[in-house]
Amino acid sequence: MAARVLQQCVRSLARPSLGLCPVNLALRAAVAPAVTVHRPFSFAADSRRTRWLGQSRISSVEVWCRQYGDLPPLTLETIKDRVMYVLKLYDKINPEKIQATSHFMKDLGLDSLDQVEIIMAMEDEFGFEIPDAEAEKLMTPEEIVQYIADKKDVYE
Amino acid sequence: MASAYLTHQQKVMRLYKKSLRHLESWCIFRDKYRFYACMLRARFDENKNEKDMVKATMLLKAGEEEFWANQHPQPYIFPDSPGGTSYERYECYKVPEWLLDHWHPSEKAMYPDYFSKREQWKKLRMQSWDKEVAQLEAETPAGGPRTEALPPARKEGDLPPLWWQYVTRPRERPT
Repeated sequence: MAARVLQQCVRSLARPSLGLCPVNLALRAAVAPAVTVHRPFSFAADSRRTRWLGQSRISSVEVWCRQYGDLPPLTLETIKDRVMYVLKLYDKINPEKIQATSHFMKDLGLDSLDQVEIIMAMEDEFGFEIPDAEAEKLMTPEEIVQYIADKKDVYE
Repeated sequence: MASAYLTHQQKVMRLYKKSLRHLESWCIFRDKYRFYACMLRARFDENKNEKDMVKATMLLKAGEEEFWANQHPQPYIFPDSPGGTSYERYECYKVPEWLLDHWHPSEKAMYPDYFSKREQWKKLRMQSWDKEVAQLEAETPAGGPRTEALPPARKEGDLPPLWWQYVTRPRERPT
């Protein structure tokens, strides 16, 4: 009896999507016609799950793999883009004048406390702490990018 | 760092950074934090041109005491830093590289390119080891090394001392 209810659920789900997404024909043929009561539970559940997957994605490939939560992998270009973006947002830096090799103290005329603030902004951006001993040595955006790439094992 | 003593500037920078971090833990809303951070920066800036080191040190000491009195009981610690949630979490997966030598030949046959290159690297390590040891013995002062920093390679075509353990260090996030 439960299987019959499940079949009705599956059929009601199947109806709007029959024309829309290209579900594999075997599945559609299996689900659409009225079947006996003794359909196994797991098969009905499977067909329902693939049907939902088929509706939600645009492509027709059914992906069964699990998707873990993680950040997208870092590359040197993305690290550099993010570092330059954060630096351009800083109000004591002129966004037109900043280059990858511009020194904070000599070229941009910043203070050591400004450099501390910049390093803190980098820590907030990338989500990990830069210890003080190494932070006070990072004086150009290029060095910051190299340090982050070193810590995060990006194209080592 | 050259020596174990911090300069006055370094101490001020460290005080500024930790006071900003604790301020961030107190003022969780970003605009409020920005306001108080600017106030704090103004307080640091009004004394920054002090030439008298005695007075500067007294100001630093007063600042440290004020920080201690106003610190946050549970400041925000980044996950990977000491005291954070993810600190040394993946340390058990950081396997030393000599285990690769103990792989079964059938397993090694799955990565022939890597293992052939690995043999060349190991030969290079054998050749440069004596020179590295000689350089370290020459450059370490009597009584032991002062810092953990290793000296760079001095001669052309020479490899820096103890390069193998740096090159074959495990990744930050193994797996």
